[in-house]
Formats: sequence, structure tokens, C-alpha cells
Amino acid sequence: MVKKYNKGSRIEYRKRDILFTAGLWLVSLILPDPHLPYRREFIKKRDFFYVGALLLLPLILSGPLVYLMVLAGIYAIVALGLSLFLGYAGQISLGHAAFFGIGAYTTAILTTRYAVSPLEAFGASALAAAVCAYLIGKPILKLKGYFLALATLGFGEIFLVMVRESRSLTGGVSGIFGVPWFSVAGFAFDTSLKQYYLVWGVLIALVLFAKNLVRSKMGRTLLAVAASEDAAASVGINVAQVKVRVFVLSAAFAGLAGSLFACVLSTANPQGFGLGLSVLVVMMVIMGGMGNLYGPIFAAIFLTWLTDVLGGFQEYSLPIYGVILILLLIFFPDGVGTRLNERLIYLISYWGRKRRRERVDI
Amino acid sequence: MSLLSIDTISKSYDGVRALNGVSLRVREGTIKGLIGPNGAGKTTLFHLITGVERPSAGTISFQGRDITTLEPHEIALLGVGRTFQTLQVMGTMTVVENILTGMHSRLKGGFLSCGLWLPWIHKGERTALKEAKETLEFLDLLGRWKWNASHLSFAQQKMLELGRALAMKPTLLLLDEPAAGLTPAEVTRLAEKIRRLREQGMTILIVEHHMGMIMDITDEVAVLHNGEIITEGPPDAVRNDPRVIEAYLRGKDA
Repeated sequence: MVKKYNKGSRIEYRKRDILFTAGLWLVSLILPDPHLPYRREFIKKRDFFYVGALLLLPLILSGPLVYLMVLAGIYAIVALGLSLFLGYAGQISLGHAAFFGIGAYTTAILTTRYAVSPLEAFGASALAAAVCAYLIGKPILKLKGYFLALATLGFGEIFLVMVRESRSLTGGVSGIFGVPWFSVAGFAFDTSLKQYYLVWGVLIALVLFAKNLVRSKMGRTLLAVAASEDAAASVGINVAQVKVRVFVLSAAFAGLAGSLFACVLSTANPQGFGLGLSVLVVMMVIMGGMGNLYGPIFAAIFLTWLTDVLGGFQEYSLPIYGVILILLLIFFPDGVGTRLNERLIYLISYWGRKRRRERVDI
Repeated sequence: MSLLSIDTISKSYDGVRALNGVSLRVREGTIKGLIGPNGAGKTTLFHLITGVERPSAGTISFQGRDITTLEPHEIALLGVGRTFQTLQVMGTMTVVENILTGMHSRLKGGFLSCGLWLPWIHKGERTALKEAKETLEFLDLLGRWKWNASHLSFAQQKMLELGRALAMKPTLLLLDEPAAGLTPAEVTRLAEKIRRLREQGMTILIVEHHMGMIMDITDEVAVLHNGEIITEGPPDAVRNDPRVIEAYLRGKDA
């Protein structure tokens, strides 16, 4: 067994490797740490970079893209909430669109019928979604895996049917129009730019909340429940209670997002809250990486943008969408937010290693 | 005074009797060993004590309180720590986080207060981290406190699981085959740790196959065979008991 190297040197060494290393170092400055989910530090230098980029982004984006970022931010809030439930606590929910819808309808009904201010409706939406989640979660969170997925799926469908049929309250299929802009103390968020700062401001606040949660006792509790329910119970964690509470919390996130959604689109109708959205949000969390907070947000931006771009391809959009998702899951099986550096090193050095493998005689 | 007392407990699965009128007492500050051939009902007894399963008849009481019908986490909150026969280390977390998870019941805070990082959460996390490192030092795992728990060796994971149970500061510690799969050197080290725990005043109940270790560290041994306790007493007396020898030699069908 003699290893043959092409130039007779013992160590294979190329200029390209130096370039790769330098490139990776640059990339690592802005991308999440490979061990991010295991370190769970609160704020790092690169967080300031992210926030700065978000602040400055509207300067380089055109109008429609800013609007797209507003939508992406709203979906990112739902994905962040679901990340706590799915990514951390390891429970599946295919009914999160319903909580999003509950938030949107609560805001729409309160502001148009009862002239409640959008800010108060914002809080009420989270509360409504949380209460629904509690009532639903108490019985169905005893289920696990596929059964839980089916039960939440059923809940989502029931919600849609109820919204369509109770016309006097929700306006049926056509929905509710004329939801006022979000406003705080007389300041109305009436342009895409203002809405952008509103939505991403809310998102940053929620990210801070989630980060606190993750680095504290409750974050460990969630991971423990996901890893082993028996072990979690053996240290005194009330598994059933924790599951219900994190479900309620993630529903409240979805409710907040729904409220913003109603204010931004100034309408609420059942088309937006179907199974498609539920699956999209689950996809965001899986693509972003389980047990990760930034990944789902990035995935939310990417998928919202992708859906918009592919809209131009008409009937080919869905196959292209599918192929892109499959490719992403092949090359980033842990999600884009988890061990991204390691994945990039793997991908960048892929061709080089392939050639080297071929050159070695065994 | 007995810390844990099990009174004439029975458990049957669809007519198969796993345990038949078993009574067992664990006195405070002692190490009790529970041995028996495979299928004798040791694990079943463990499940009943920790609340994973309910007995068909009989009662279990801990510190004079009836715990027969409590849920596993309620029993844990009363001060019963346990390890598992099959490793249940949380591989998605770091070593120190595994230990901190064990401190769950002793830390304050719910979802809201943790999310808002209220002052007492900060204080609690800080002292908990210090304490967790002390526990890791006791287990010789301090050098790896930042490691992902799934990257540890098997023996270290077993130690980590013990550490998670210790972090609860339990009154009674239940060890389910702690030495299974360890090398002789590791067993010796484990036995030394368990002995040190007893010196600190902990009460321990061990289920084990490793006879050497059991005879070495326990104060009292009970032998379970075919769902019944056939003998109970100091290790030396049990070792020479003809019924025990017969049970082990002839196996389950005796």
C-alpha cells in the first residue's frame, strides 16, 4: 500500500487551500458559530453585525423587497416561536397557521368592529392565541410524533372551516377588510419602511426573549424533554406541563405575528392561514436547524424571497421550489443554522477531496 | 428508620407475575444492593419505585409518605434521584448543561421570568454553574464541561448520568446497573465514588449484576428471584446462602 502523490512530496499542499482557508475565515466572521447551539451565549459581537445589517438593509433594497422583508419578518416571528416548540422541545405542530390566523382575526375584529387601538389588539391577539393553544394543547399534547402531527393538522383544518362558516363574525371566505395601520401613540406605521422597522423590532425583542429562555433553566428543560422524557421526569421536570407551556408560548408568538400580518395587509381572510403556511413554517424550522434561533429566521427570509421569485415561473414554480428544498436538505442536513461552518468547509473542499481520493492507490 | 419501605408489592403483566408480595426496606444512610438473576423482577421493582409503572397491589412509602400513585416527576421532587439501565444522557446538550438540568427542581423561574432574565434568574444560574462544576470535579469530568455530552465515552456518560442525579441533591439515590458495560478499572472508580457518597450521608439502592462491586460496597443485600425476595442480609451472609447459590446456578426455572 503505497500512497502516490503527484509531485513526490509527502504533504499535499496547494495554493488553493490557502485561499479556501482565508475565505472560510472571512465567512466565519459573519456566520453563526459551528457550535452555536451548544454554547448558548447571550450576545456576541456578530449579533451587533446582524442588527446593523438589518437597520441598513432598507437603504439598499428597493420598495417591493422591503415589503417582502416585512412579510419575511412576520413569518420569522412564527418560525421563531415554532423553533422553541419543534426545534428545542422536539414536538411537532402542523397547526401553527391556525394560531397565526387567530391572531390576525382577533386584531381584525377588535379594530374594525370594536375600535380597539391596534396596540391593544396586538396584545389581545397573543392572548387569544395563547388561550386557544392552552385549550387545544392540554388534551392533544399527550400524543407523540405522528399522532401529534395529525392532531395539530386536524386543529388547523377545523379552524379554517370555522372561520369560513361563521360569516357574521369573520366575514366568511372574503374575510375582513379595512384593518387600520399599526399605530403607537398616534404614530402610524403606514409605509413599508416603517412597517419593516416595526416588524423587525418586534422580532429582535422576541429573539432576545427566546435567547434568554434558551440559556436558562427553561431552555435546558425544553432540550431535556426533547432528548429523553424519562430522564426529564427523573429530575423532577413535569413533562406534560412543560409541553403545554411551550406550546402556549409558541402560539403566542404566532398570534403576535398574525396581528402584525393583519395590520400590514389591512385584511384578514382564510386563504393565508391554511395548511400551506403551517408546512412552510415547519420547513423554515427544519431548514434553519433544530435547536437553533437564527437559522429559522434566515430560512424565513430565504423561503419568502424564493416563493416570490418563483412566482414569476408560473406553473414551474412548485417543481423548482421542491428541487431547491431537496438540494438544501441534502447539503445542509442539520439545517443552515447548525454547524454551518463545518458544512461549508465540507462543501468547499468537496471537489478537492474527490480528486485526491481518486489519486490514491490502495 | 427506614427511608424507603415497600410493603407486599405485586405486579403482574397480563397474568404473568413479575413481582409477588415483595417487601423491602432501605434504612437511612445505608447502601442497599438488590441482586437476582435475569428476569427476577429487579427492573420492574425499580419502575414501581420511580413511578414509571403502578403496582397491582401493595404500597410504597418514602419518608413515611405514600408514593404508590405519584407521577415520576412528583417522586423525583420528593428527593428520589435515579439513573437508568440504558443510558439517558441528553446528547444535544453540553456536559455542564446535563448537570444543570439535574438542578431543575432547585432553581426558581418559569417561562416568563426566564425569558425576561429577571435578576433572580441571573443569580440562580450563576450559583448553579458553580455548583455544577463542583459536581463535575467530583466525577472527574470537569475538564470536559463544555463538551457535547454525546461525545463522551460510555463510562463518562454513565458518570454524567450519575452526576445529573446527584445534582438534584437527592435523599435517596437509585442506581440501575451502574457498572454494566464498564471495564474493571472503571468499576473500581465507580465503587469508590459510591462509597464517598455514602460517607456524605446519602442513602443508595443499587440494582446490579456485578457481584464483586455489590459485595464490596453494600451494607445489606436483598436477593430477588422469580418475583420474590428469597433472602436478605449482610453481603457475606447472602453470598454463602445456599438458596442464592441455587438460584444463580439453576437460573430462572428453579
